[in-house]
Amino acid sequence: MDLFLDRLSEPLDALMTILAGLGINLETLTTQSEMIGRFYTLAIRWLLPLMAAVILLRCLLTLLGEKREKTPWGYLQLPSGLRISITRWENLIGRGRFADIVINVPTLSRSHAVLTHRHDAWLLRDLGSKGGSEVNGTKVEGEAAIDYGDTISLAGLEMTLFPAGIDSPQQRHEYDPDAFVSAERTANHTTLALILLFQFLGAIQIYLARGAAAPALPLIFLSFFLLESLHYVIIRRYSRRNLVPELIGYFLCGLNLLIVASSSPGTLLKQLAAILIGMIAYTVIIAVARDLDRAHSLRYLFIVAGLLMMILNLALGKSHFGARNWIDLGFISFQPMEFVKIAFVLAGTATLDRLLTTRNMTAFVGFSGASIITLALINDLGTALIFFGAFVMISFMHSGNIRTLFLFLSGAAFGGLAVVIFKPHIAARFALWGKAWQFANSSGYQQTRTMIAAASGGLLGVGGGRGYLVSVAAADTDLVFGMLCEEWGLLLALVAILMIVFLAFYAVVLTRGCRSSFYAIAACGAATIFILQMALNVLGSVDLLPFTGVTIPFISNGGSSMIASWGLLALIKAAE
Amino acid sequence: MKLLSARTGLLITLILLFVLGLAAFAMQYFDSAPAWVEHPSNRHFYTDGKLSNLGTIYDRGGKALLQMSDGGIKYNEDPAIRTALMHVTGDRDGNVETSISSVFKSDLMGWNWLNGAYRFNSEQPTGGTDLTLTLDAGLCAAAYRELRGRRGAVGVYNYQTGELICMTSSPSFDPVFPPDLTGESGDYEGVYLNRLFSAAYTPGSVFKLVTTAAALEQLPDIDKRRFRCNGEMEVEGNMVTCPAAHGELTLGEALAHSCNTSFARIALELGAEKLQEYAERVGFNSAQKVDGIHTIPGRVELAHAGKAGLAWAGIGQFTNTANPLNFMSLVGAIGNRGLAVAPNIVARRGFLPAASAGAKKRLLSENTAEALAKMMRNNTIAVYGESNFKGLELCAKSGTAEVGEGKKPHSWFAGFLDRSDYPLAFVVIIEGGGSGSGSAAAVASAVLHRAVK
Repeated sequence: MDLFLDRLSEPLDALMTILAGLGINLETLTTQSEMIGRFYTLAIRWLLPLMAAVILLRCLLTLLGEKREKTPWGYLQLPSGLRISITRWENLIGRGRFADIVINVPTLSRSHAVLTHRHDAWLLRDLGSKGGSEVNGTKVEGEAAIDYGDTISLAGLEMTLFPAGIDSPQQRHEYDPDAFVSAERTANHTTLALILLFQFLGAIQIYLARGAAAPALPLIFLSFFLLESLHYVIIRRYSRRNLVPELIGYFLCGLNLLIVASSSPGTLLKQLAAILIGMIAYTVIIAVARDLDRAHSLRYLFIVAGLLMMILNLALGKSHFGARNWIDLGFISFQPMEFVKIAFVLAGTATLDRLLTTRNMTAFVGFSGASIITLALINDLGTALIFFGAFVMISFMHSGNIRTLFLFLSGAAFGGLAVVIFKPHIAARFALWGKAWQFANSSGYQQTRTMIAAASGGLLGVGGGRGYLVSVAAADTDLVFGMLCEEWGLLLALVAILMIVFLAFYAVVLTRGCRSSFYAIAACGAATIFILQMALNVLGSVDLLPFTGVTIPFISNGGSSMIASWGLLALIKAAE
Repeated sequence: MKLLSARTGLLITLILLFVLGLAAFAMQYFDSAPAWVEHPSNRHFYTDGKLSNLGTIYDRGGKALLQMSDGGIKYNEDPAIRTALMHVTGDRDGNVETSISSVFKSDLMGWNWLNGAYRFNSEQPTGGTDLTLTLDAGLCAAAYRELRGRRGAVGVYNYQTGELICMTSSPSFDPVFPPDLTGESGDYEGVYLNRLFSAAYTPGSVFKLVTTAAALEQLPDIDKRRFRCNGEMEVEGNMVTCPAAHGELTLGEALAHSCNTSFARIALELGAEKLQEYAERVGFNSAQKVDGIHTIPGRVELAHAGKAGLAWAGIGQFTNTANPLNFMSLVGAIGNRGLAVAPNIVARRGFLPAASAGAKKRLLSENTAEALAKMMRNNTIAVYGESNFKGLELCAKSGTAEVGEGKKPHSWFAGFLDRSDYPLAFVVIIEGGGSGSGSAAAVASAVLHRAVK
């Protein structure tokens, strides 16, 4: 018998060595529940990154596989018999390279006129062309309304506007949104199911690891699953296109809850409320912004609200980790500048005809100035950088002028120099940039801890709720990338980041078929803010950029940040 | 709208820049993650700044060399092994930069790329990843003993597989009883340096192997030539001398008797460019890595040497330096028909065989290597004495490197066994050891006899 055991012990030892190599040490197991938890983590840390990658891939494929029907809104009939279809709400007519309707007649200006569809009516705006424009023989001064059948003359070239016809597919969509159910929709269902499963599995992991600290956790997650499913059903009812932006939003919110459950389970309910408010805000914004005129009113509303927020912040702002960017109203506390981001982007929007005629940016420049000054006063460098970046992006969308771009950037260099000279504590922060390890236990504390945590997670993470970075200040906000890496692994963290990159890229794609430049600018502005926030957060927390303490959209803990993220996402979605 | 969509170029640029930044982070991660996790603030591995657990370092026979448990380091119980392998295991305070416990610290801690600090049972630390080395601890101890307190290093490796089976560096100390190193006695100068990896010495006559290799391939009929040695030779007012006039010699005889004037002549005939080329081809001026452990490269710079410099360089006495390990790879390559197998020291990581074993690189053509091997075999028979190396089939070259007025020369002995059962190459260097064929050869003989036992 002993001999038998001896013989058995060798392969058993070998098995134990192999298991130990995988990180399993059977001898040290104590109770059964611990055992379940451990085996669960063992499996889940392989499964979750894989699922996340599949979700990202599915979102990508949905976008790539999308058939872009260019449905005409009307036709321009030239005397030669040539029929030009009008596929956008805003059309630049001219012989220039970037005209939407290119007519290669030498008398035409490069940018001759803009044909706009608004209020179920067409408007023609002459852009101060040499040859001038006429409608039914009357010279267009500024803007003129056009009916179907009207004759337009551009520098003597005559053409007639015709409707697209009641039998065109476009018209059908107008009356029956359900007629548009396509394969993409079912693809969206599967992706949502995957996301829900991912979040369910993640929630169990967190519950097994941290359940004692958060008895309400199952209920919170259950409510969240219901919330996102409900939101999905509502949005699907009214959306004409795929639901990729929403799906990514849900996925990221799930990660946010997993992070919060690990770092401060007590605030889970608050965070869930923020997600709810965010989703409502999102739905309202896209419902309102669908109509360009209402979108314009929304713009003014937000600008006024934004200014109020800034004043409020200056008057009541409380300091939190250096920046005076919190307002505490007793029953609720928030960061007003998060909401100003949405107002800021909206302030920068303009329709194509205005963009090409008045070139008036006073409102936007004024609003930007106010924001930057507020941010300087409340000492929030990171957010100031984000606003400035968005300002540069939006200005470029307006002017398209590379020289202006360089002017802005050199202006920024001067401004930066001034800041460094007059604000020594900021200069000190920049001086530390790239030297976090030299000051690992003082000023480089947060960055080095992020890197240590990220490396400790390896590719697959140590398991949700089992990290140590949580004990460092701002772990779930400014250092959230480190937390993601440590608990869920580098692979999952990178996939999450790439999801937001994908959203920004999606904004670029949407711009191509966008109805109005209003939406295009809003989408690109919002995308810029997303990217800059991620760059400053991720690269800042690992010492590749100066550490400025900003959040990652959706993922970081924080109610204001969550709501603002949904608001900005709505601006991207509105461009569809 | 086309206009605006063209202007999204700036946003695309921004997105790409960010993705580049992310890639930069990924690169930094894959470069530095092991170093990051080693930080004492990492609570996955440290409790109150102390490592809670490490894997064990074993020698090839399964002898535990270093073990860490419950916060304490446990070394092998044999003081001779501890001392001989102090540069391999490292001392208690981590002063030896090239030690296995420093270089493979993250592995020993139980970290790896895939799993990070994950362990199945987070309550109890696992033992980390065990490392099994290619070294034979007993042989290392014997080699250290043979050095008899003289400064220097011994290395022996299998030139077919690259396994480093013996390595020791002197001075050393017993890491269990570290001496007081604050005093100025000088006995422990450079004690943390592994002289096999991290030192470079004037090579002296062992460098003649490089000169010979170049001559064999570059000078036609060199094997039929005769050299005439009068005991001295003038090069631009500089005297190159031999201990005595060797008379008329073939190339092989010149190598065996280490005739300086003949090799000065060969170096001049080759020219600085060719000699430089061959030196670099066989590994000078480039650092070698042994399983990720950095070594110091030997140096040969002949660009501004002048004629006299070149003549001296040809006999290993100019500004040339040689790193013992790199030189061992060179003689190993001669033994392996011109093919150098990169030395390695970690045989197994945990339950996995080490991945890096045995990268091959051709240093010399097969013909050149065989001709050199034949000459080195002849060296033993004609000069070093076959009786001293009985049964070893030894092919070797000695070197007595002059290091300045009034200082005893460094003693070199390097070569290989022409045996298929023991394909071993070796190097012995003793600082101020005197004659190479004397002191260094004696150490080599003792160590090699033990290695083939």
